Amino acid sequence: MSEVIATNQTILVVGGGISGMTAALEAAECGKQVILVEKNPSIGGRVSQLYKYFPKLCHPKCGLEINLKRIKANRNLRVMAMTEVSAISGDAGNYSVTLKTAPRYVNENCTSCGACGDAVEAEFDSEYNYGMNKRKGAYLPFNQAYPERYVLDPAIIGTDDAEKAKAACKYGAIDLDMGESESTITVGAIIWATGWKPYDAGKIQPYGYDRFQNVITSVEFERMLDPHGPTGGKILRPSDGKEAKDVAFIQCAGSRDKNHLAHCSRICCMASLKQTTYLREQYGDDGKGTVYYIDIRAIDRIDDFYQNVQKDPNISFVKSKVASITEDKETGNPVLHGVDTEGYHRYSNPHELVVLAIGMEPSVPAGDFPIEVVLNEEGFVELDEANGAFFAAGCSSDALDVNRAVQSATASALRAIQVVNKVAGAEG
Amino acid sequence: MSNYNQEMIEKYRGNFLKEVQDNVEEGDWVKMCMQCGVCSGSCPLGPHWEHPPQEIFMMIRAGKREEVLESTSMWMCTSCYNCIARCPRGLPITHIMHGLATYSKRLGLAPQQQPTAKFAQLFWDNLVKKGRVNELKLGLSLYFMNGFGEGIKTSLKMKDIGLNMLKAGRMTPMEMLGGHSCKDTKGFQAMLKKAQELEEARIGKHGN
Amino acid sequence: MSDLKIGAYICKGCGLGERLDCDQLATVAQRDGKAQVVQQHDFLCSAEGVKLIQNDIDNEGVNRVVIGACSRRAKTEAFDFQGVNVSRCNLREGVIWVRPDEDDMRETTQEMAEDYIRMGCAEAKHSLIPASAQEKGTDNTVLVVGGGITGMTAALEAAKTGYPVVLVEKTGELGGYVGKMWKDVPMHAPYTDPVDTATAAMAAEIEANSLITVHLNSTISKTSGAPGRFAVDISTESGSTTTINIGAIIQASGATPYDASQLPELGYGKSKDVVDRVELEQLAIAANGGPIKRPSDGKEVKKVTFIQCAGQRSEKEGHLNYCSGDCCLTSIKQAMYFKDQNPDIETEILFDDLRTPGAPGEDFYRSGQDKMVTFRKAVVSEVVGGSNGPVVKFKDKILDEDVEEEADLVVLATGMVANSGVDIDEVPQNEPGEWEVSVDSILNLNYRQGKDLPHLKYGFNDSHFICFPYETRRTGIYTCGPVRRPMDTQQAIDDATGATLKAIQEIENAKVGRAAHPRSGDLSYPIFRKEGCTQCKRCTVECPFGAIDEDEKRFPVFNESRCRRCGTCMGACPVRVISFENYSCDTVGQQLKNVEIPEEWDEKPRILVLACENDAYPALDMGAQQGNHYSQWARIIPVRCLGSVNTIWITDALNSGYDGVILMGCQKGENYQCHFVKGSEMAAVRMSKVDQTLETLNLEKERVETYEVAITDIDRAPGLINDMAETIEKIGLSPFKF
Repeated sequence: MSEVIATNQTILVVGGGISGMTAALEAAECGKQVILVEKNPSIGGRVSQLYKYFPKLCHPKCGLEINLKRIKANRNLRVMAMTEVSAISGDAGNYSVTLKTAPRYVNENCTSCGACGDAVEAEFDSEYNYGMNKRKGAYLPFNQAYPERYVLDPAIIGTDDAEKAKAACKYGAIDLDMGESESTITVGAIIWATGWKPYDAGKIQPYGYDRFQNVITSVEFERMLDPHGPTGGKILRPSDGKEAKDVAFIQCAGSRDKNHLAHCSRICCMASLKQTTYLREQYGDDGKGTVYYIDIRAIDRIDDFYQNVQKDPNISFVKSKVASITEDKETGNPVLHGVDTEGYHRYSNPHELVVLAIGMEPSVPAGDFPIEVVLNEEGFVELDEANGAFFAAGCSSDALDVNRAVQSATASALRAIQVVNKVAGAEG
Repeated sequence: MSNYNQEMIEKYRGNFLKEVQDNVEEGDWVKMCMQCGVCSGSCPLGPHWEHPPQEIFMMIRAGKREEVLESTSMWMCTSCYNCIARCPRGLPITHIMHGLATYSKRLGLAPQQQPTAKFAQLFWDNLVKKGRVNELKLGLSLYFMNGFGEGIKTSLKMKDIGLNMLKAGRMTPMEMLGGHSCKDTKGFQAMLKKAQELEEARIGKHGN
Repeated sequence: MSDLKIGAYICKGCGLGERLDCDQLATVAQRDGKAQVVQQHDFLCSAEGVKLIQNDIDNEGVNRVVIGACSRRAKTEAFDFQGVNVSRCNLREGVIWVRPDEDDMRETTQEMAEDYIRMGCAEAKHSLIPASAQEKGTDNTVLVVGGGITGMTAALEAAKTGYPVVLVEKTGELGGYVGKMWKDVPMHAPYTDPVDTATAAMAAEIEANSLITVHLNSTISKTSGAPGRFAVDISTESGSTTTINIGAIIQASGATPYDASQLPELGYGKSKDVVDRVELEQLAIAANGGPIKRPSDGKEVKKVTFIQCAGQRSEKEGHLNYCSGDCCLTSIKQAMYFKDQNPDIETEILFDDLRTPGAPGEDFYRSGQDKMVTFRKAVVSEVVGGSNGPVVKFKDKILDEDVEEEADLVVLATGMVANSGVDIDEVPQNEPGEWEVSVDSILNLNYRQGKDLPHLKYGFNDSHFICFPYETRRTGIYTCGPVRRPMDTQQAIDDATGATLKAIQEIENAKVGRAAHPRSGDLSYPIFRKEGCTQCKRCTVECPFGAIDEDEKRFPVFNESRCRRCGTCMGACPVRVISFENYSCDTVGQQLKNVEIPEEWDEKPRILVLACENDAYPALDMGAQQGNHYSQWARIIPVRCLGSVNTIWITDALNSGYDGVILMGCQKGENYQCHFVKGSEMAAVRMSKVDQTLETLNLEKERVETYEVAITDIDRAPGLINDMAETIEKIGLSPFKF
C-alpha cells in the first residue's frame, strides 16, 4: 500500500455508506483534505442494496452515481477500501489513528475487465445479495462498485482458483502475496459513519425466520426487486420459486422491543409502505399486501405517501404486533397468528410471503469503539463535548432515513471542519 | 359490595389506573403497555379470554373498573409466561393478571362461578390445614366442586387413573384419614398468620 | 491560449486489441479526427500508459486528449489530466461489450469504434478549455434570515467556522418559536424529561460573538446578485435600509403555528379551555413550575386531554395534509409539565399513530408512559361544552366504543405552516425595471423568476432530493428548519448546521468560479453571444435555478455563480447563442456530424442516442457490463441533461441522414428524478414540437423517440435502442442520405 499522507488538518471519515460519502464529499468540496475508509471492498453502503427510495420511488443508484462522480473528480478526497480503524488515540485536532487494510489481492492495475471472474470456479454467498445467491471467488461487489476493481475471496488464496485468476489477468493486477497492512495516520477530526446493520431476524424466535423459507427480511425483499438480483427482479417465494402475490409486512421486527432493539428504527414504516407499491408495480390488481403494525410512523411531509397507500384497496392495515408464525406444510404459506387490537379480533392469516420490516442496529457494538465515546442506551453515538472531535454521522447517531442521514452527515462535516480550521489557525 | 371496595372507589374516584398501580401486584407496569397485542396473540388460552391482557390494560386506562375487576379474564391465566417472554415493553403480564385476580377477590368482586377461582380457593383451603397438599382430598373436592351428581360422574370417569395411581403407590387411600402434614404445622400456621398480618398492613397502608 | 493540439490514444487492452483493428482506429484519428499525435498502447490506464499521455501534454503541447478505451465512468482518475480537455471514446462498454464477438459482426463493430474516435476528435476540436467564470465571489459573509433556534444555530456554527454572519430577525428578539416554550424536548440522553430551551443561552452567545451582527425588527427588502456577491437590503420597521454584501444565504424563516380557529369542531374559539399547543406553553410559563391553571376561570387543571393531529393529516379543506412531525413529542412533553408538577393530574393523549421515532423518540414516549401519561388510540369527532369543562367526544379504537369525556383543559396538537414567502408559481416577478418590495416575501429576490425560493409541496421550500436535501433551486441560498419540512428542535439544529456547511461551501466555490452540486467543481460556465439574441426569454424562463435575469431590453443577464451548468438555457435557445466552453451546440453537433453515414444501398442505418450522463448513460454502461447487447447502428452521445438538448441536434441528425433519434432522460413530473429539476420536463416540451419538424421533412414520427430512463434500466435501455432498429427496419431508411 502506498503511503497515506495525512496531517492534523485532515478529516478522517469512517464508513463509506451514504452518510460517510456525503460527509467526506461535503468536507472535501469545502477544500479540506479527507480520507474515507470503508471496511468492505466497495463504498456505497446499505443504500446501494435498495431498489427504490421512499417517498419518491426513485433509485438510490442515481444518487450514488452522482456521489461517485463527485468522488472521482475530487483530488482532496482519498478512498481506502477494505480498511478498518483498529485504534484511535489523542485528542481533538490531533488524533493518531491506526488503520488496518485487508488484502484485496488485486492492485490498481485492474481494469475490471472480468477475466479473473470468468476463470475461477469456486462460488460463495453473495454479501451484496444477503446470501440469496452466489458470487464467484473473484468478483466485482456490484455493478457500480467503487473502487471499480475486482477482489479475490480470501478463501481461494492458496487454491488452484487463485492461480487461475492470476493467469487470466493480462494486466498483472492480481497479487497473491498481498497481506494485511497497517498504517498509522494523524488526523484532526473523525467523522464516524459506520451506519447500521439489519437486526438478526433469527433472534425473533416466534417468527421462524430460521425455520420458514417464506419468511424473509425487508432488506432481502429489496434485493428481489433488482432486475439483476437473485430473483431477476421478481417477487419469488424462496420455498418453491413461485410468485408471491399476497405478501404480509410485519412492522417493528426487532424494533421497539426490549427483548431486541428498544428504539424505533424510524425507516421501517415508510419502507414497508414503499414495498407495498412494489406489489402493485408487479401485479397490478392481483397483488395484495397486509401491513401489521403498532403505529404507522410516516412522519412529517411524507404522510401523504401513507394516505395514498391507504387508498389502495389491495393494501390493508392491521394494528397488531404479530404473535407468531406457523407454516402450512401443504402450501408452504406462513400463517400469521395474533390479535387485531382495534376491537379485539383474533386472526390466523395465511400469506404467500412474509416480509419482516427488520430493525436497524448500530453496526458497531457499544464495546467495540476504538476510543471512548459517549453512547446512549441504544448504542448510538451522542453529540457530546466529551467526544472531542469524534462526530457521528448518519445511522451511527440514531436510526435515520436517508434524508436525515445526509443532513446529519453534512452537519458532522461542518463540525469537523471547525476543528481543522482551528488547527490551521493555530498553525498559521 | 364490601366496605373495602367502597373505600377504594371513594379513594380513587375514577382514576382506576392509579388504583391498579397502588394496589395490584406489579400494577405499576400497566401504564407501560403500548397496545401492540402480542400478549393477547401469544396466549395459548387466548380464545377463551373475554378480554385479553392488552385489552384489560386499555380498559384499566379507560377507567372501566367494574368491567375489569368482575371479569373472568385474568382468572384464565395459566402462568405459561408466553406473554412475559414476548412483551416488547417488558410488562410482567402473568403477575399482573394474578395481581388483578387477587385484588378483585380482595374487593369481593371476583366472579363466583369461575372454575379457576374456585379451584384456587379449594387448593388454599386444602393446603393451609397441614402445610401439605392432600392430593386425594384435593382431587375429590375438585370433582365434587359443582355438586354431588357431577362429582360421582367425574370420579367414575377418572377411576382407572385413580386405580393405577394406587397400584403404583403414587396415591394412598390412607390420605383420606387426615393425611400427612409438614414437620411443624404450628410453625407453618404461625408463618401464614404473620404473612396475613403483613399483607393486611400493606393493604391497609394503601387503603387509608 | 495555445494552439489546439489533439492527441489521440488508443488502448488495446481489455480485448480491444483483439476485437478491433486498432491500427485502423489510429489512422481514423489522424486522417478524419485530425489528431496531431496518435499513439496506441496495450494497457493505457497503467501508470506507463498514463505517463505516455502526460508526457505528450508536457512536452508535445497536446491540449486535447482523446482516449479510445473504456467508458468515461471507468478509470476516471487515471485519465484526469489537468489543464487540458479529455474526450473519452467508449470503445469497451460502448462497442465491444455490446456487440457479439462473431466474425460477421466485425465490420460493423469496427465501424462503431471508428465513429466514436471521429466523435471524440470532433468534440476535442470544437471545445475550449474551461477557464472558470470571470464573475468571482468576493464576499465571505453569511446572511441568516430568521432568529429562531434554526437561524441562531446557523449563525453560531458559521461564526465558529470563522465566517462573519449577519442575522436578520423580523421581531424584536431572538428565540423564535422555541424561545416561547416553557421547556423543550431533551436533546441528549437520557431522553426522559423536558429540558430548558437552549435559546436564551444561544442569544447571549450571539450577542457576545464579534463575528455576528444582529438586525432585529428587520426584514429583507431586496436581494440581488449571486453567490459570493449578493447585495442584500435590510430594512427596519422604522423604514431605514442598509445594504450589505453577502456571500451566501441561509433561510431559516421557520414556521407559523396553524391557526386553530379553523377548528371550531374541536371547540377552539368556543371554549376558552380549548387551547392550541402554543397557548399551552404560555399557560406553563405563567404557572412557572406551579400548577397550570385553565384560562376560563383560573382553576387548577386536574385533567387535561391532548388531541393529536388536530387539523392535520387530513385532506379536508383548510386542514394540513401532512404530519407536523414534532407534535407527538410536544404533547408528551406538555403532558409532563402537568405530571412533573403533580403526578395525580390526569393527562390523556388521544392519538391515531404515535410518532416518536428513533432512540430519543421512543425513550421519551416510554418516559411519558412511566410518568403515567395515558395514551389512547382514538378518533376525535368533536369537542363540546360541558358543565365543568370541555367534553371530548371520540371513538376509542382499541375498545371499539364511543366515549365522551370531560376535561378541565383540552390541548389541540396543531401543526406548523412553513414561512416560505410568496409562491412564485402563483406570483411571478415584476417586469424588469419595475421591481417592488413584497411584504409577504422572505427574501425579496429581484430574480427574473420571482421573489422567493420555489415551493415544493404544501408550501414547504424543500429540495425534492432524498440524497441531496440541500439542493434548493436557488444556488447559494439554503433553507433549513421547519420552512423546509416539518421537524423538531433536534433535527432543526442538525439541519441548520448542515445548511451552514453548504453556505460556506458555496462561498468558497464562488470565489474560484466553481459549480456547485451536482456538477461540483465544473469550471465551465455559459457564454452568451448577445449579438444573435432575439430576446425570446426562453432561457430566462426555463432556467431551473433562476440564474438568468433580464435587462431592461429583455436581453438575458447571466449570473454565473447561480448557474449549475446543466445547459437547459443552451437547449432552450432557438438561435444557439448560449454555450459552454467544453459543451456547446458545436461540441455535440460536430460529434453527430462526424459519424459516417453510409450510402443508402449499404443498408446500414444510423441511430443517434442522446443520453443523460447521470442515469441513462450509466444504465447503458452497466447493461454492457452485464452482457446486454444492442444494435450496431447506435451512436451514443452523453448529455449533461436532457434539458440541454437543442432541437438543432435533432434536425441536424435527420438532415444528415440518421434514420432514428432517441432521447433518454430522467423521470419528470411530481416525483421528478432529474437532478436539474426541470431539464427532462423542458426537453419533453421541446420534443413535443419536433413532430412538426418531422412533418416538414416528410419523415415518420417514429424516427424520433423520447424516453424516461432510470439508472436501473440496464435491460430496458439497450432494448429501446433495439426497438428503434426494428422500427427502422420496418419503415425503411431515411431518404436523407447523400
